[in-house]
Amino acid sequence: MRAIVFRTAAFRMALWQAALFAVLAAALLGIVWLRINDYAQEQLRDDVAIEMASLRQADARDNLEAELRQRLAGLPADQDYYLLTDAGGRAIAGNLSYRPASAGWHAVPLHGAVGKDNSDADQVQLFAARLADGRWLVVGRDNRSVVELGEVLSRGFIDIGLLAVVLVLLSGGFASWRYLQRIDALGERAERMLEGAPESRIVGSGRGDEIDRLAARLNRMLERMRVLMEGMRQVSDDIAHDLRTPLSKVRQQLEASLADTSDEAMLRRSVDRAIADIDGLLVTFRALLRIASVEARERQAGFGEVDLSAVFEHIAETYRPVAEDGNRRLEASVAPGQRMRGDRALITQMLANLVENALRHTPPDAHIRVDLQAGAGALVGRIADTGPGIPAESRERVLKRFVRLDSSRSTPGAGLGLALVAAVSDLHGIKLTLRDAAPGLVVELRFPDTAPR
Amino acid sequence: MKILIIEDDLATAAHIAANLHHRHDCVDRAGDGPRGLSMAAGQHYDVLIVDRMLPGLDGLSLVRKLRADGREMPVLMVSALGEVDARVEGLEAGVDDYLAKPFAMTELNARLAALARRPRLGEAATRLRVADLELDRISREVRRAGRTIELQPREFRLLEYLMAHAGRVVTRTMLLEHVWEFHFEPQTSVVETHISRLRGKIDRGFDDELLHTIRSVGYSLRAAD
Repeated sequence: MRAIVFRTAAFRMALWQAALFAVLAAALLGIVWLRINDYAQEQLRDDVAIEMASLRQADARDNLEAELRQRLAGLPADQDYYLLTDAGGRAIAGNLSYRPASAGWHAVPLHGAVGKDNSDADQVQLFAARLADGRWLVVGRDNRSVVELGEVLSRGFIDIGLLAVVLVLLSGGFASWRYLQRIDALGERAERMLEGAPESRIVGSGRGDEIDRLAARLNRMLERMRVLMEGMRQVSDDIAHDLRTPLSKVRQQLEASLADTSDEAMLRRSVDRAIADIDGLLVTFRALLRIASVEARERQAGFGEVDLSAVFEHIAETYRPVAEDGNRRLEASVAPGQRMRGDRALITQMLANLVENALRHTPPDAHIRVDLQAGAGALVGRIADTGPGIPAESRERVLKRFVRLDSSRSTPGAGLGLALVAAVSDLHGIKLTLRDAAPGLVVELRFPDTAPR
Repeated sequence: MKILIIEDDLATAAHIAANLHHRHDCVDRAGDGPRGLSMAAGQHYDVLIVDRMLPGLDGLSLVRKLRADGREMPVLMVSALGEVDARVEGLEAGVDDYLAKPFAMTELNARLAALARRPRLGEAATRLRVADLELDRISREVRRAGRTIELQPREFRLLEYLMAHAGRVVTRTMLLEHVWEFHFEPQTSVVETHISRLRGKIDRGFDDELLHTIRSVGYSLRAAD
């Protein structure tokens, strides 16, 4: 875990930040030091100039040597330098071994001074002046205050810089560790769920931050995966259960017909029946595959703009004569010009299945209504009948594959129609509701509000 | 008719070929994509039957290549992939009809017949005529023996399709696909009901029946012999 903490993006970011802070501190120190150094040097020269002026006043009062000796005796810190020489440059008084050659400012290395080797100073600023009588007066001050200032400054900057780097690294490490904890928690939950733990979703921190968003996406992904795995298991169950039975029936028939081959006409009938049974099986098989492919969302790629009103009209027009032939009445009221994005073939089949259900599960004289209503931002399709309806407790169940209610055992069918309707509506984001039409059943399709305006 | 079957499954190819021989068609066979392509490009065939999944070169690519070379012969694709998407893909590749496996031979024969004499580009007639029955595609008028017949829009399409394939057998599935654009098996008698209504309008009260039911295969619109 420790090694991993240092390998996160968050920690790498912290490293970069620390380096940036260090560079920033160094740059700041440099700039400040340059300015302060200039200022301190100037201050130093000002001090020397004032001292020189003061001594020259003493010289005007013929009091120079006494004044000088007094200063040399009572020097507060040994950073001040004085030298008085005769016109030939020989020292009369002072604490400086220097031979003035010209008037003005001179910077001399400190090792030329006497007994001044116990400080950080390395240079003396000297101001030499020739007095009226030809003597030389030299006043100087070493640069220890400047050097010390620099040291204090750089020590301060280094301390602050180090502190900043350490703090950034610590906070980076902590952030990285927290991040890892949450990511690993996510990963572990996902892993457990993949291994089949009953947990249904990853719980975020509730802060709505990026990790929560990631958790939400993972949840959707895992849910999708669960549905797919479920679907796969369902399909194999379905095949095992509902295809094997009719297959065995066909096999038995063929076997039985082989037992007595004397009657050729009977044999032919038997083979014809077997082919018809197999065709029925193939229809079921195709329907199953289609449901599976719709559920796997393979088809969303084939979405285009669908004239929903036209599809509703088409279905009503197609099934009205079928209803009439069965002594039922089909009425339609379709709002014109309604469009949506989707798969036209699938929507057509969905509506056809619903209308066919209504036709097949109602007694003669039943009324069937096919409506498409648009209003108040909602687009709602309804297929209602006046038949026996579906009991409330079964309405969810009938949407599953191969579910057939006992009341409809006598009608042919494999119980896949509504399963396809459920899959298609799910693919299109259509809200599918089965309700009591008192009497009868009304299937409501609430279309998503994606219609291009 | 001269027909080329490009199909790698020997049993299926033999089954189809036997059926076609039976109809006195001249049949060639190719067992893989490249061979099928060179045969189709090198000789004249009235119809190609192409399996979608072929070794060497898949059926879709084969048809695309043929079409890119300007070969316009009708192609019927047969495939175990029966989903609507697969079908649409096939039609986009230049296939004229698409039949999902497994299929009944009667279905294959009906589709081959429809393809073989399919009007080529630009030849779609605006007026169709079978015996004394006339249909005008532009004015959408239908007359029999000079008497105007009122048809519902879907009935008109149904009759139009039947007349365009007059003299040939069209199957229920062909009608469902082309007239209703239903790519599934309805659980109710959609085709039968509409056919019976149409028959009531175009045949009732006339001496000769034009719309015939071909038992367990489909329907055929033709003049009495």
